[in-house]
Amino acid sequence: MQWKNVRLIFRREMRDQLRDRRTLFMIAVLPILFYPLLGVSFFQIAQFLREHPSRVLILGYEGTGGNLPELIRQDRFAVASGEPSSATSVQLELLPLTRLAFVRRGEWPDDDNLTAEQSKIVNRQIRALMNRYGCEAAVCFPPGFFKELESYPVRFRNHARKASQKPPPAVPRPLLVYDDSSDKKVLAHARVDRALTDWSAQVGQESLAASNLSQWAARPIEFSRFDLAEDADKINVSLWSKILPFVLLIWAVTGAFYPAIDLCAGEKERGTLETLLTSPARRGEIVLGKLFTVMLFSITTAILNLVAMAITGRVVMSQLKDLAAQADVGPPPLAALFYLALILIPIAALFSAVCLALAAFARSTKEGQYYLMPVILVTLPLILLPMAPSAELDLGFSLIPISGIVLLMRSVMEGTISELWPYAFPVLLITFSCCYLAIRWAVDQFRSEDVLFREGEKWDLGSWLIQSVRYRRPLPTVQIAVLCGVLILVLKFFLEATVDLPSTPSGIAALSLATFSWKAILLPMLTILGITLVMTFLFTGEPRKTLALRRPPALSLLAAAILAICLYPTATMLQMLISQTYAIPQQMQAMLEAVEMKLASGPGWVALILIALVPAVCEELAFRGFILTGMRHSASGQPERRWRAIVASSLFFALAHGILQQQISAFFLGLVLGYIAYHAQSVWPAILYHLTHNTTACLAHASGGLKWLENQHYLAAGLLLGGLLLGGALLLYFGRLDRQRSGPLRLDTPAMGSKPV
Amino acid sequence: MIEVRNLQKQYEDFQREPHHALCGISFEAAAGEVFGLLGPNGAGKTTALRILSTVLQPSSGSAKVDDLDVVTQSDQVRHRIGFVSSGTAVYDRMTAWEMVEYFGHLYDIEDAVLEARMEEIFDRLKMQDIRDRLGGKMSTGMKQKVSIARAIVHDPPVIILDEATAGLDVLVARAVLEIVADLRDQGKCIIYSTHIMREVERVCDRVAIMHRGKILATGTLAELRAEAPAGVKSGEMEELFFDLIQKAEASQTETALDG
Repeated sequence: MQWKNVRLIFRREMRDQLRDRRTLFMIAVLPILFYPLLGVSFFQIAQFLREHPSRVLILGYEGTGGNLPELIRQDRFAVASGEPSSATSVQLELLPLTRLAFVRRGEWPDDDNLTAEQSKIVNRQIRALMNRYGCEAAVCFPPGFFKELESYPVRFRNHARKASQKPPPAVPRPLLVYDDSSDKKVLAHARVDRALTDWSAQVGQESLAASNLSQWAARPIEFSRFDLAEDADKINVSLWSKILPFVLLIWAVTGAFYPAIDLCAGEKERGTLETLLTSPARRGEIVLGKLFTVMLFSITTAILNLVAMAITGRVVMSQLKDLAAQADVGPPPLAALFYLALILIPIAALFSAVCLALAAFARSTKEGQYYLMPVILVTLPLILLPMAPSAELDLGFSLIPISGIVLLMRSVMEGTISELWPYAFPVLLITFSCCYLAIRWAVDQFRSEDVLFREGEKWDLGSWLIQSVRYRRPLPTVQIAVLCGVLILVLKFFLEATVDLPSTPSGIAALSLATFSWKAILLPMLTILGITLVMTFLFTGEPRKTLALRRPPALSLLAAAILAICLYPTATMLQMLISQTYAIPQQMQAMLEAVEMKLASGPGWVALILIALVPAVCEELAFRGFILTGMRHSASGQPERRWRAIVASSLFFALAHGILQQQISAFFLGLVLGYIAYHAQSVWPAILYHLTHNTTACLAHASGGLKWLENQHYLAAGLLLGGLLLGGALLLYFGRLDRQRSGPLRLDTPAMGSKPV
Repeated sequence: MIEVRNLQKQYEDFQREPHHALCGISFEAAAGEVFGLLGPNGAGKTTALRILSTVLQPSSGSAKVDDLDVVTQSDQVRHRIGFVSSGTAVYDRMTAWEMVEYFGHLYDIEDAVLEARMEEIFDRLKMQDIRDRLGGKMSTGMKQKVSIARAIVHDPPVIILDEATAGLDVLVARAVLEIVADLRDQGKCIIYSTHIMREVERVCDRVAIMHRGKILATGTLAELRAEAPAGVKSGEMEELFFDLIQKAEASQTETALDG
């Protein structure tokens, strides 16, 4: 690695990007303009709200007079509450109650509230009046309402004096008619509601005062409140700690994406990439030079957004002081901003490497831009996941890429990092590992002839499928293998959604074993097998090779079975660790137990067939047969992509499992299964391993699990270590299998890349 | 200087058939010689040149540049070649001077030496008037001159030109051919691919006629003309080319029918 070349390429790319108006607009101009524009819009909205009072229709207002507090003065509410004040924000249209035909016909009940049917008729008539006078809400006071309200204390006292058994007298209820179908009307509803509620409270207070009663009667307990957060922080920190990581990460992705597209796909399109590849700069140096450029733009974009947002926020808050005080919002703490910028570096490196690899894969800038949405779609849930109120930085979250770093940012801002700092290590480890893998991927893209010289032909799914069927090749390609995996996942999802399986433990218990087995196990497994077989016969010419059904060495079958037993303690330990890290929800745990009980309710051999045999055959043929065979395919002259095949097949295998905890352990199990199937060039050892593993689990569960080991730590450690050592030796044996037989493994006839010239 | 032995390159087309871009071609080129690769589109010229410039890897066979293997000693090979592609590829947002300087730095040339060398090249290629012009504002001819300047800035012993006159007008094409002849006179080994007969006749010392990944004939123009079968108009390079192509097509059809 010559750093001089990296520096040269970095400087050139920087200069190039700084001269590109589109990039500059995205990176610098947009953030500088965006937030002030947002601030201006905010002002406009606030101004609009101030200057545009809601129109409210008042029917039957006879004037309060007497001892009642004033409700209406001319065409405004006399009660000044809320911000902006209801006295100025509501314009009233006063009409007599006789405008309602209902009242004119004398159908308003004298002594009681309106019935539902009557209310419906009144509402319809009021709506007609609201439309005619352009009002967004209406208040209808029943006939004699104010007089009854004024005389109520006297009537109540008389009633109390008589000690009558009758219920106390009631005041007729005014009608508040609103329509929450638009924001404007919602606002009118809120304003009129607030004014009436405040007036009602005033009536209550004055009534208490007139009766020489303390206000205490209406509000007997007043709580003292004390916020433990520092004065300067308050809700402010909690609010910013959710907003800022989100804004930073979204802009870090966007800031990385556009330069990456221009530096890779754009350079391919212009033809300059080929020229650069003939220069002394190596592929790794080219990637690093470009990566640093993209990273710098990613960081700059995120920070510029942050600064622009902070400045705009400060200006807006200072202009709307009352609103800010009400919401308890202030500017973000400066120290937190510094730490955020520091954490931004690894996250920008990760996004930059991913964007660079994707951009290198694209044939043109136009194609590259299509990849932005998938990047956002994958990133967004990982950014939003930590926004859940219960989410906090723990071991489980720290192992999730992006989510971990968002929570780390939050804890830095909230000042809880001093308690949670041990989790910063796994977060950074995971982030840097992902970053390293993404850079490796980007470098691989730059080394791949297929990728660098892909023809710019238009690709469409229909013609690709037709061609793939018409010109079947002996074995599946990478694309067909991915299609198979995706189809399995999608169909399994829809199957689970449509099959009528109970969602409660009691429902499971009520099902017969046969029905449960068919719906919960056999149908999904047969779906996986069915898709695999259909794709095998539709897209490939040699089904036996495609499903890796060749006969393996007899010893490898025995080795696979022993390996499964040796690694069982490790698998159990792993499952325990996973359950501790990501606790299974109680309801889910109850469901799992119900399923276990249901399976245990039948004969043992049925459980073995359902849990061990059927999944071993169906899943192995799909994941270690079809998908692994397809994913190992490589370009001409290139070695087979062993780890890509093993990891990809394991990922699909993991995702085909129901819950997160199962998915994680299935992924690790898939790695072992993939490794032995790859090296044995056959699916049979994998089937046998899977069968033995599940059988051992069944038998261990039937005999009460491994509880007997709980207090025998030395024995447990011995079993674990012994199993690992023997397992390691057996894996070495599998690793040498293909070398002993036929040199480097080639399943296919000489594999070739797509035509580059 | 350049030695290609039984070079093969296979790809896979969509019909899942192996596509032989190069079917074991062999040729040599010496210093002070322009070796032409003449063939129609899809003959495998660009693939051969990309292998020589270390961008692609051969499926089998060997290729050496200045006694260095293009696969195992690719880093050293790239220091000894200058590559001009057919796409007149230049950076839109860099000036002519910046582009050539950038590549000069990548070739690790000292600043003072580089500046003197660039002045000389800019004079020789008559590029002084465009030295501060951005790539995006250059004509196709200017871009190709910049490409050539970039390819020779480190004074490589081998220069590879892939259809260097494609898309250029007659005047600029003529100027490019003059530059090629000039470089040959300086003792450079030049591999020049084209599908234009007149260019071959004008600039190439020896030529290999390629078709569908194979070399149908190799030699000097005089040798090729001398070996032309009876019936081909004497001295007509184009007639000889068509004759070879037709024979290759006929032979392929015959093989397919027999098979």
